[in-house]
Amino acid sequence: MRILIVEDDRLVAQGLKEGLQQLGYTCDVAHSAEDADVCVSGEEFDVALVDIALPRADGLSFIRQLRSRGNPLPALILTACGSMDDTVRGLDAGADDYMIKPYRLPEVAARIRALIRRSNAIADACLCHDGVCLDTRSHTATLNGAELDLTNREWAILEMLLMASPAVVSKDKLVQRLAGWDKDITPNAIEVHLSRLRQKLSSGSIVIRTVRGIGYRVDAPNN
Amino acid sequence: MRPTTERQPLSLRQRLILALMTPLVIILAASSIFDFQLAKRTANRAHDQALADNVYDLAAHLKRQLPSRDLDLTEEAEAMLRSNAPDMLYFSVTDAFGKVLAGDADLPSQPFPKNDQIEFADGQYRGHVVRIASHRISGYGQDFQIVVLETTEKRQQASVRILTAMIVPNLAVVLATLLAVIFGVRQGLLPLHAVERDIAGRSANDLHEIDMAGTPAEVRPMLGRLNELFSLVRESVEIQQRFIADAAHQLRTPLAGLQTQLDLASAEGAFKESPERYRALDEASTRLGHLLSQLLTYAQAETSGSQIERFEAVDLGMLVEDSASLFLDAALARSIDLGFDISPARTRGFPWMLREALSNLIDNALRYSPEGGTVTVHCGAEQGQAYLGVEDSGSGIPEEHVRHVFERFYRIPGSPGHGCGLGLAIVQEIAELHGARVTFPPSLLGGLHVRIVFPSAS
Repeated sequence: MRILIVEDDRLVAQGLKEGLQQLGYTCDVAHSAEDADVCVSGEEFDVALVDIALPRADGLSFIRQLRSRGNPLPALILTACGSMDDTVRGLDAGADDYMIKPYRLPEVAARIRALIRRSNAIADACLCHDGVCLDTRSHTATLNGAELDLTNREWAILEMLLMASPAVVSKDKLVQRLAGWDKDITPNAIEVHLSRLRQKLSSGSIVIRTVRGIGYRVDAPNN
Repeated sequence: MRPTTERQPLSLRQRLILALMTPLVIILAASSIFDFQLAKRTANRAHDQALADNVYDLAAHLKRQLPSRDLDLTEEAEAMLRSNAPDMLYFSVTDAFGKVLAGDADLPSQPFPKNDQIEFADGQYRGHVVRIASHRISGYGQDFQIVVLETTEKRQQASVRILTAMIVPNLAVVLATLLAVIFGVRQGLLPLHAVERDIAGRSANDLHEIDMAGTPAEVRPMLGRLNELFSLVRESVEIQQRFIADAAHQLRTPLAGLQTQLDLASAEGAFKESPERYRALDEASTRLGHLLSQLLTYAQAETSGSQIERFEAVDLGMLVEDSASLFLDAALARSIDLGFDISPARTRGFPWMLREALSNLIDNALRYSPEGGTVTVHCGAEQGQAYLGVEDSGSGIPEEHVRHVFERFYRIPGSPGHGCGLGLAIVQEIAELHGARVTFPPSLLGGLHVRIVFPSAS
């Protein structure tokens, strides 16, 4: 996995690079948007970490250019600009996620993993999480390598939860998703599907957590 | 309290009404008095004429009787003369020496007329106010004086009639004028009220210019100065905001560097000998980061100004749903049951600020709840007012501290955790900016329940 760090502050860039290298990622550092542009035009990366405030062209314009060329490289904004207004502008520019400085390394690593998982799901049509793998092309599911027999509804629920993890998915959203098969599906029916799904996954380490009053979430993998 | 209240200066409206009404009422009163006098005089003249007719009748009668020097009137004639209801008529005939020849002997004596004209005078007789007519007739080389007295009952009745006939329309005119003046003044001052409403309706942070279109020329210079002042303040607020943004970047970036280095050093085993030193450093830098974020949020909320035109529709339910993902891990780390109670609720505002306010409430609740406690986030609408609330099973806020909790950097003595004392100040600032109230409803979980109640949509 290769990560591009676009950050003008050398202390921060160096720290991120070393920290991510220790986690097994390969890291390149660009100190300006222009340098970053050169990097992405010649090399392949899996994720870009982008600071907004850069000398000359800022991080947002870098991401905008990336998207205008059709490059889907997942971009995580690391911003020191405080207000959420800036982060909204970042997401509008085409960034996939954002974090406000100061951040902690484990948190950054978790976000990177989520971004990579999502982009892999799109590219390889394979959604893997804590031993569970959903192959959306062949529509087969495995748990620790063994085949997992899921109904269409269970599959849809699990797919949604895995795509969103570690974010919470509301019961309403699941109802909307399943309404394609079942016009009158109720929140209670969702609960039934979930308890069956939990049973089927009970031998693995994946945790589907109930969030009181909202819905469910798959915890981030424990690694 | 002092018993006497200070006298308020008169309002512009009161001044105008007073200045217009006082001369108008005086003019109307003067003209009424003049009209009344004129009408009374005309009526008097008519009555005098009638009295004169009586005198002439009597004179004619006397002239016929004179040769016999027997001036006694027949009873019939006298009755006719005296029948003058409702007034009483008295008369006397005297010769040049004042000897009463006929009629009432006790009439007040009148100066002997110098010519043949009837002379009128006012007087008193038997306790009545009377009108007196005095006339001279001549016959057989002698002059006689005829005096006729009439009580003034008819005249007084006429006066009352005239007065009534005048007072009613005059009062109507006064009333109509009063209404016209009040209405006119109100209409004239309407543009001023619009300006007043515009200014009074703003929040303290609202610095947008007052729209001068349609304002009266008289207040325009004042509004112009006010707008200049607004733009000056706005500029300085913008400078302040830029400074805050710059400061944020300048402070946050090295702090991020510091924390990364700390994590790296720890990972490399630098703190193997003294893990408690790492924990202390880690805690201090985490607190520093938290304090920095809080300070910047507070400063931004304080200087953002209530630019209602930039408010957006906010679905509070979505806001609460999003917060679930943000805080679930922090809650799980302390085995706190973080739950949600979402009913449809919408308001208008700055989404990022409302998210900050909610985050601060949840963060506080998680900090001050014991391990294994419960925190519930609510949103919904009550009586048309949307609300956002967080309730916990912590120890709550003791009565004596409640009024201090909105003060910046106020921490309840002896409270656990590493809060910086800005959380509720931020919540209060953001609520104020949105015209919302912060309330403390009773908590079913036994701890603190803080609620932001938004103004109703209408």
